[in-house]
Amino acid sequence: MTNATEAPSPSPVDALLESSIKDIGIPPRPVILDRISREMLKEEPDYKRLANFIGADVSLSASLIKTANSPFFGCRNRVHSINEALMMLGLDIASRAIAGIILRKVFPASPQMERFWDASARIARLSGWLSQYVGNHKLRADDAYTFGLFRDCGIPVLLMRFPDYHKTLAQANGEDQLSFTAVEESHLPTHHAMVGCLLAQSWWLPEETCLAIRHHHDAAIIGMPSVNPPLTSRYRIAMAQFAEHLVQRHTGLSHTREWPKLGGACLRLLDVTEDEVDGILAEAIPIMEAEE
Amino acid sequence: MQAHGIDPSTGFLDRSSCLDLVGRLASGVSGNSQLLAALWIDLSRLKQVNESFGHLGGDMVITQIAQRLREKSAGRGEWCRMGGDEFVCLIPNSNAEHARQLAQDLLQAIEAPLRFGELFLHPSASIGIAILDANEDPFAFLERADRAMSTAKRQGGGRAVASGDEPMPGRLGILLAREELAIENKLHLALENGGLSLHYQPIIGFDGRVEAVEALMRCTADNEPILPDRFIPVAEKTGLIIRLGEWSLLAGARYARHLDDAGHRTKVAINVSRAQLASPQFTQALHGALLCANVSPELIELELTESLFMDISEAVQANLQAARAAGVGLAIDDFGTGYSCLANLKDIPATKLKLDRAFVVVLPHDRRAFAVVKAMTQLGRELGMTVVAEGVEEQAQLDALQEAGVDAIQGYIHAHPMPEEALLDWFRQRNTS
Repeated sequence: MTNATEAPSPSPVDALLESSIKDIGIPPRPVILDRISREMLKEEPDYKRLANFIGADVSLSASLIKTANSPFFGCRNRVHSINEALMMLGLDIASRAIAGIILRKVFPASPQMERFWDASARIARLSGWLSQYVGNHKLRADDAYTFGLFRDCGIPVLLMRFPDYHKTLAQANGEDQLSFTAVEESHLPTHHAMVGCLLAQSWWLPEETCLAIRHHHDAAIIGMPSVNPPLTSRYRIAMAQFAEHLVQRHTGLSHTREWPKLGGACLRLLDVTEDEVDGILAEAIPIMEAEE
Repeated sequence: MQAHGIDPSTGFLDRSSCLDLVGRLASGVSGNSQLLAALWIDLSRLKQVNESFGHLGGDMVITQIAQRLREKSAGRGEWCRMGGDEFVCLIPNSNAEHARQLAQDLLQAIEAPLRFGELFLHPSASIGIAILDANEDPFAFLERADRAMSTAKRQGGGRAVASGDEPMPGRLGILLAREELAIENKLHLALENGGLSLHYQPIIGFDGRVEAVEALMRCTADNEPILPDRFIPVAEKTGLIIRLGEWSLLAGARYARHLDDAGHRTKVAINVSRAQLASPQFTQALHGALLCANVSPELIELELTESLFMDISEAVQANLQAARAAGVGLAIDDFGTGYSCLANLKDIPATKLKLDRAFVVVLPHDRRAFAVVKAMTQLGRELGMTVVAEGVEEQAQLDALQEAGVDAIQGYIHAHPMPEEALLDWFRQRNTS
C-alpha cells in the first residue's frame, strides 16, 4: 500500500537528509537496539541503565510509554516510566516496539512521508486490534502491530533511490491482475517487499516478520498451506491486509487493488466470512479514528 | 488352565495387568535413585508370517521371540504383551543409559534368524524407550514409550528411540531431532539478536595487491559460538540457509562499501549456497542487497561452493547469468575436487577459479599435483579468469604456486580470517608499512 505516490521535489533540508541516506543505502540498525541486544545477553540485564539511555531521548521515551500502554502490548497495569515499560514488556518486545517507533524517524521527513507513516501506523494499530478481535490467539497483538509498521518500509528506501519510483508505485497500486511486486519488477531489478525484508533482517527483527514482509503481496503464499513461510508469517500478512481493507472501506478511498487479489485468501486464513466483515468494520471504526 | 492376567502364548502379563503394574511401580518410585524405565517393543513382519503360515505360525514366532526377550533381560524387568506383536518391558531401578543398552541387546536378540520349519525368518523390531518423569501419570509415561516406538518404526525400524529424541516441529514447522532443534533455536536467537557476523580473510596477489577479501560467516548464540559445520546442515534442512545467505549478501556488500569509503577499495567475496542460487528470488535479493548497501557491483564477488555443481539447474544458470549481467563477479570455490569439473567452466560465466587446498597441501614435493595446478592455472588464464590458491600456510607452497603461475594466494601465510574492525586495522598497518 501507499499514499505516497505523488512525491514532489523535497525541501532543501529534506534533500540534505536524503543525500545522507542515499549514501548509506538503508538506515543502519539504531544504536539503542544494539544496546538492548547486548543487555539481553547478560544474565542480569541492567534495566536502569537502559532506561537512562532511552530517557535521554525525550520523544522516544514518550512514544515508548505510550506504546507500552496501548492495548496491543499486553501491559496489565498502566506504566509511567521507561523502566516500568521495559520491565513490563520485557526487553525482547520492548526492542521491537522501539524499532517501530524509530523507523519513521530515520527517514527524511516530508508531508508525503508523514502521510505514508501515518497510514502505516493506522494499519499497525488496526492489525493489533484485529489479532485480538478475530485472531483467536493465532498471532500476538504486538507482532501484528510491529508487522504493520514495517510491512512497507521498502517503499521509502526505493522512493529515495529511484526518482521515478512514485510512478511505478502509482501503476502497481492501480494494477488489477498482476501482483504488486510484479509491476515493480517490470521497472526495477528488485521490489519493495524484498528491500523491506532485507532492512528488517538487518535490524534483527524476528524471522517470521521478515518473511511476512517479503511475501506480503504473494497471493499463492498466503493461501497455500506450507511450512515456509510459517503460518505466523501468513497470519501477519492476512491481518494487515484485512486491516488495510477495513481502512479503505471506512475512508471510501481505495488506494490499491490488493484486496480483490489477496482478500479471499486472507479471510480464509483468518477464518472470517464475507458476511462478518461489515460487523467487524463497525467495531473497528473507533480504533481507526483513534489518535496515534 | 489359564492364569488370570497372563498371556497364554508367552507367559507375560496381559495388557490390563500391565496397566495395573505400571501404576504400582510408578507409585513406588521416588527421587532420582529409583528410576522406572519402559521399553515398548513392536515386532516387524509378523503380519506376513500370519498371512503365510496362519495364526498358529504367528503364535510360534511370538513364543520363540518372547523366550529370547526373557532370556536376554535375565530377570531385570517385568514383561507384558500389549496385544498382537507388541510388548512392554518395565524395568525398575533403571536409568536412561541402562535402558538404552538393554534395548540394543534386545534388538540383537530379536534379529537372530529364527528357524521355522525349513525356512529361516529374519525378525526385526522397533523399540521406544521412556523414563518415568517425576509426578508423571503412568499412562502418559507408557504413551511416551509407544510414541517413541512409532518414531523408531518411521525411521525404518531395527532401532531404539528414546522419548524426547523424536523429531519435533521447529520454529519454522520443520521436523527436527532434538539437537537440531536446539541449533535451530540458536540460529533464530542469532538472527534476532545480532549473533551473526562476518570475518574476512584477505586474498593477496603476487603483485602485492589485495585481490579480494573472503567473507566467512560466524554465528554466536547465548554468548557461545556455534561452529559452521554444526549450524550449516541445520540451516540447510530448515531453509534458513537462504536467509543466512541473504544476510551475508547485505552485510558483505555494506562492508565492501565501508572499505571503499575508508580508502581500501577491494572486492568482497561472499559465499552463496546451492539453495540460495536455486531460489526464484535470488536475483531480487542480490539487487536488493546491492541497492541497500549502495555499493558498486564490481566490488562484490559470489563464491560458488563445489556442491552447487552436483546439478546445475536452469534456474541456477539463469541466476548466475543475471549476477554477471549485474556486474558481480563469480568465483568457483574448491575447484578440482568433488563435483566441480572442467565441464562447469564451459557452463558458468565465472571470473575466478579457486583451486582446492588439497592441491596446495602436497606442494612443493608432489610434482604431479604441481603439474595439475600449473595446467589448471593455464586453463583459467585462457578463460580470462583470475586463479587463486587456498589454504596456503608455508613459504615453499607459496613459491611453488608462484612458479605454477597462480595469480593470488589465500591462507594463514598471509592472514587469518578477522572481524571487520581488525581487517580495517590490517589495511591501515599494511598501508603504513
